[in-house]
Amino acid sequence: MIVIESLAKAFGPKREVRAVDSVSMTAADGAITGLLGPNGAGKTTLLRMLATLVVPDSGSARVAGHDIVGARADVRRSIGVLSDARGLYPRLTARENVEYFGQLHGVSPAVMRARTDRLLETLNLSALAERCVQGFSQGERMKVAIARALIHDPPVILLDEPTNGLDIMSVRALREQLRALRAAGKCLLFSSHVMQEVVALCDRIVIVGHGRVVAQGTAAELVAQSGADTLEDAFVSLLGSGEGLAA
Amino acid sequence: MSRASPGMLTRILAIARKELRDASRDRRTLTMTVVSAALAGPIFLVLIFNLIASQADKVRDLTLPVVAAERAPALIDYLKRQQVTISAAPADYEARIRAGDMDVALLIDENFSRDVAAGRAGVVQLVFDRSRDRAQASINEAESLLRGYDRLWGAQRLLLRGMAPTVGNPLELREVNVATPRQSGALVLFLVAFYGLLAAIVGGMAFALEATAGERERASLEPLLMTPASTLEIAVGKWMSLAIFVALIVFITVGGFYLTLAFAPLPAVGVPFLFSARDVLRFFAVLLPLIALMPAVLLWLGSRGRSIREAQANTQLLLFVVSLVPAAQLFLQRKEPAWLLYVPVSAQYVLLNRVLRGDALAAADLAQAAIVPLLLTAAAIWAFAHTWSREAALAGK
Repeated sequence: MIVIESLAKAFGPKREVRAVDSVSMTAADGAITGLLGPNGAGKTTLLRMLATLVVPDSGSARVAGHDIVGARADVRRSIGVLSDARGLYPRLTARENVEYFGQLHGVSPAVMRARTDRLLETLNLSALAERCVQGFSQGERMKVAIARALIHDPPVILLDEPTNGLDIMSVRALREQLRALRAAGKCLLFSSHVMQEVVALCDRIVIVGHGRVVAQGTAAELVAQSGADTLEDAFVSLLGSGEGLAA
Repeated sequence: MSRASPGMLTRILAIARKELRDASRDRRTLTMTVVSAALAGPIFLVLIFNLIASQADKVRDLTLPVVAAERAPALIDYLKRQQVTISAAPADYEARIRAGDMDVALLIDENFSRDVAAGRAGVVQLVFDRSRDRAQASINEAESLLRGYDRLWGAQRLLLRGMAPTVGNPLELREVNVATPRQSGALVLFLVAFYGLLAAIVGGMAFALEATAGERERASLEPLLMTPASTLEIAVGKWMSLAIFVALIVFITVGGFYLTLAFAPLPAVGVPFLFSARDVLRFFAVLLPLIALMPAVLLWLGSRGRSIREAQANTQLLLFVVSLVPAAQLFLQRKEPAWLLYVPVSAQYVLLNRVLRGDALAAADLAQAAIVPLLLTAAAIWAFAHTWSREAALAGK
């Protein structure tokens, strides 16, 4: 469960770039919540604040019940993050990459091996487990990054443009994986600027533009709210323009 | 950076272990580093020993080209008795000396025997080029032989007149060279030792950049920073692994030239370098503060670069400073001032020299030389952690 209240963050020497300008929203357990908005809408900053990498200027947020400012360590233990930045260590094997993060998350050696095996198996990576990730394809790397983000079995999963640079097969595999996590009762927050992707996957959609929440609800609710005929028209009318938004 | 939290040590060790494993798989960099560290001593030593040996040979087997040897037969006989090989000088001896093909030539004046018979000094000319380093040994030897002949001849004349030789040579110069054989070779050995230190920095450099700027370049920094490991834990873990690695490289370098001295068939040059296994440890003890400091500084510089290339420019400066300090010290002619023992690198230079000269190495001096490097190590690790804890660290992934 993620609860965000009036979260704000500005950058620049005079705090003139208001990346996130008072965002309030929630993301429920057992659901995939989509964060849809054009490039530069503040999605990445919002997720980085939830991941405790960036300290908010004002407002508050609780991730799995932990305050993102007061209980950073607890928040970090509760989240698994898959972002555009999903670099692996090329000279380590798939297993070593995953287990390294497991160690940093305090996963006990007793359960580590079994959990890694299970994750790699679900992701169809068992055959590659002991190979260095140097020669892996984009899709294989992405799967290792997913396993790495999930090794500590976090209740909350943050995904920042996770499909960037992936081929269609990898995107399908990722979707499948995310649905399985939803079924397991996890809270998933999925950010993207690709409308189709969000619609295909998410139970609820939060539309952000210029650092603010423009509208939120299910796809049907959003269409009704905007008075438009199609979903695409709904987004354009809600955001004021379709600029930076890919279909 | 957050406060100490449970599992801190586990995380630090996990990071250190991962970095060492990562580095050990980088075969090419590893091989280059280890091989150059291991070969530095042996190659340098063989070159230097051969140089010393050839200088000694020149003294032992001096060949002296003489112009008009027949004008001073007694002098020539004397030189031959001193094991000098006399040859006839070629006509273009001056040009050859200038070109460096010949070290020295002796020219006997055409009026030599007439002058001597008339009670005047006989003139001989020693022709040489003082600016040629390689010729120094021959020049000095020829000079001292001629002066020796001069003294001998004078003494004989005085004896013939019933006077003690001390009348003509009232001053007796006795040379007491306090440099032990070990000391005369210290500079030579120091060069090798210092090369080893530089090799350690260069060797550690590649891995330091890989562990810092490489994380950003590969976009693995952001995921790493989102784990419960604080930036300080990450910094300490990475520093530990790199310090272990650098210690290993230094050990290989120093050990490499200990083994060379102990077992390699080096030419006998009459300079018994007493570099014992114990000295290897003393060497190591002197370098320990730098083994701690250099990795910390390298990591800090590396963390400030967005790419490995960018970070490389930063580390070049460190290399320059470290190599400059001892060079500057070579120009320092006086005995080193006491405060020098507080200056990193300089202090180690001074102490390494003491080890090589066989002087005593006081624990107090070791401690004094370690203070500043260890403080700087802590500062650099903190600065590294601080750099990565800034939100700007994520800006350029």
